[in-house]
Amino acid sequence: MIGLPHFLVLAGVLFSIAVAGIFLNRKNLIVLLMCIELMLLAVNFNFVAFSRFFGDLDGQIFVFFILTVAAAESAIGLAILVVLFRERRGIDVESLNRLRG
Amino acid sequence: MNTLIHWWNLLGADGQHLVVMTAQIVAVMMSVIVSVAMMTYAERKVIGFIQVRIGPNQVRIFGLPFLKGLAQPFADVIKLLLKEVIVPAESDKFLFLLAPLIALVPALATWAVVPFSPDFVLAKLDAGLLYILALTSLGVYGIILAGWAANSKYALLGAMRSAAQIVAYEIAMGFALVGVLMAAGSLNLTEIVRAQSHGYASYVYPWQAAGFLSWNWFWLFPLMVVYFIAGIAETNRAPFDVAEGESEIVAGFHVEYSGATFATLFALPEYANMILVATLASVLFLGGWQSPFEGYLAADLPLASPSFLWLFLKILCFLFCFLWFRATFPRYRYDQIMRLGWKVFIPITLIWIGVECVMVWFKVGPWARVL
Amino acid sequence: MLTTILFYVFSAVLVGAALGVVLSRNPVHAALCLVLAFFNSAALWLLLEAEFLGIVLVLVYVGAVMVLFLFVVMMLDINVAQLREGFTRYAPLGAMVALLMIGEIVYAVWFRQLGVNLAGSAPALAPGSNTAALGELLYSKYMLPSELASVVLLVAIVAAIVLTLRRRPNLKQQDINAQVAVRSIDRVRIMKVDSVTRS
Repeated sequence: MIGLPHFLVLAGVLFSIAVAGIFLNRKNLIVLLMCIELMLLAVNFNFVAFSRFFGDLDGQIFVFFILTVAAAESAIGLAILVVLFRERRGIDVESLNRLRG
Repeated sequence: MNTLIHWWNLLGADGQHLVVMTAQIVAVMMSVIVSVAMMTYAERKVIGFIQVRIGPNQVRIFGLPFLKGLAQPFADVIKLLLKEVIVPAESDKFLFLLAPLIALVPALATWAVVPFSPDFVLAKLDAGLLYILALTSLGVYGIILAGWAANSKYALLGAMRSAAQIVAYEIAMGFALVGVLMAAGSLNLTEIVRAQSHGYASYVYPWQAAGFLSWNWFWLFPLMVVYFIAGIAETNRAPFDVAEGESEIVAGFHVEYSGATFATLFALPEYANMILVATLASVLFLGGWQSPFEGYLAADLPLASPSFLWLFLKILCFLFCFLWFRATFPRYRYDQIMRLGWKVFIPITLIWIGVECVMVWFKVGPWARVL
Repeated sequence: MLTTILFYVFSAVLVGAALGVVLSRNPVHAALCLVLAFFNSAALWLLLEAEFLGIVLVLVYVGAVMVLFLFVVMMLDINVAQLREGFTRYAPLGAMVALLMIGEIVYAVWFRQLGVNLAGSAPALAPGSNTAALGELLYSKYMLPSELASVVLLVAIVAAIVLTLRRRPNLKQQDINAQVAVRSIDRVRIMKVDSVTRS
């Protein structure tokens, strides 16, 4: 029988993999953004699982808002990435070390 | 026979349900695939007729002396499947072979929620319209991946054009669907068809069936036009086929594909999506399986009763429009397509949703029945 | 029984896809692995009977956000080898942190049950569709937040466009309205030319 702990452990594994991804791909901004999406997915997993097992729909509403904000975040993040690529001809995070454009 | 019944009883209720469902799915998939084959034949015949040609008229079914040319699509399929699949040396081979499958799956999976008759639908999904939106938005993956994996300039250009076009028109399409679900008050496609059965145009008698006048097209006409044209653009059909414009980028995203991969990447999804757009337009705006004469003729006449045949006729009308447009209109230029999608269609749908809101608020027309 | 098998299959693919995102060499492959991860999560959410969110996840993430990612990855000419520098150097640290976190979470959730008893099956669902229930909640109790969310999206649209908008001085553009409004008088001048008869 699949219970709440199964889903929580799954979400935890997912989150940890995403954290490891941020450690591994320190230079690649695109993969960093993807790892953040993965983290948000893990968090959403917790919300949905708790909402289902505690019988409270408010958690799912929260997931809805997280999805909205995450979509906005990735749109702006990718826009910044495109601008960065135009300025620096690369998406290395270390080229983001100057405050002037 | 008795052994068969014996085995059937051995399956138990769950097993029987599984077998019946599988049989239904296979039946729907087979009819879609056969329709795709017949659609390619019809396309060549209809365009031939419009251009005062004859079209395919040689291949016969098992050499029978009648219906010459009808077996042409099957001959084409066999030819495509037997040809060699050429994989470019510098391509991403795994993705190159995966892309056709990714293109095919959403084109077939969407049929799960289409209601064919009052009591036949594969999945009675409550969020059917959302499911359709989600799956049609996946169609772009096959195209992007095919274009990228082939590692060819023409393919990448075609894929980017096609993807931008699909994304642009999907928004207008989504807004058109919002209008439909506001009219029906449900995301379930069966409910959407049911909601079109009574009281729409008949302002004076809001509860009476009014046949074809009570369907969604009457109050949502701009949305229907936008939906259908956006559907043509989504399927990359002429006049919106710059993505595969053979005069400039050879064939776009599928330039490197051949044989069976070409058939599954290009022919099958494109035609299946065409039929799907036609079906959804009939279901959402033309009352699906309902008879246009309902309420005008005696209810027990076959002409006035709902059946799959009405849906079939409506689908055929829309499909004919697809072919008609292809034979009639010159190809749009890329910037014209983008302008039409972003600057014309999206404002039209937004304005009409506003109009609909006002109608709902003041309980005008179809919304008079929501007392 | 079926639910258990489905849960394990989907979770295995999900974890595999997440590893693919983190470890794959090519950003396009990473993005596709992420798509696979979202699909499996949607399937798992369907198992949790959150059908609306499952479909919305596919619609928003797979249908829109990941297409954006793929677009950017494919259009930018990225030097992958340069970006992979330091991958092996940080690999032990990353793996260690991940394993530590997994260990902590498993201990807290599985063995300690977060201090409360998490076991027990899910309560029966209220009749009616998940979508309708969420809709009612969203447009009554969470009316203001949902309006705010739409404002956030609007800001994101404007920001993304403003950031990537590039004015190029010598770009020639068409004014379609001007093109459509053109009349023959503006463009064509009809000249009277006396005809000459050649002998």
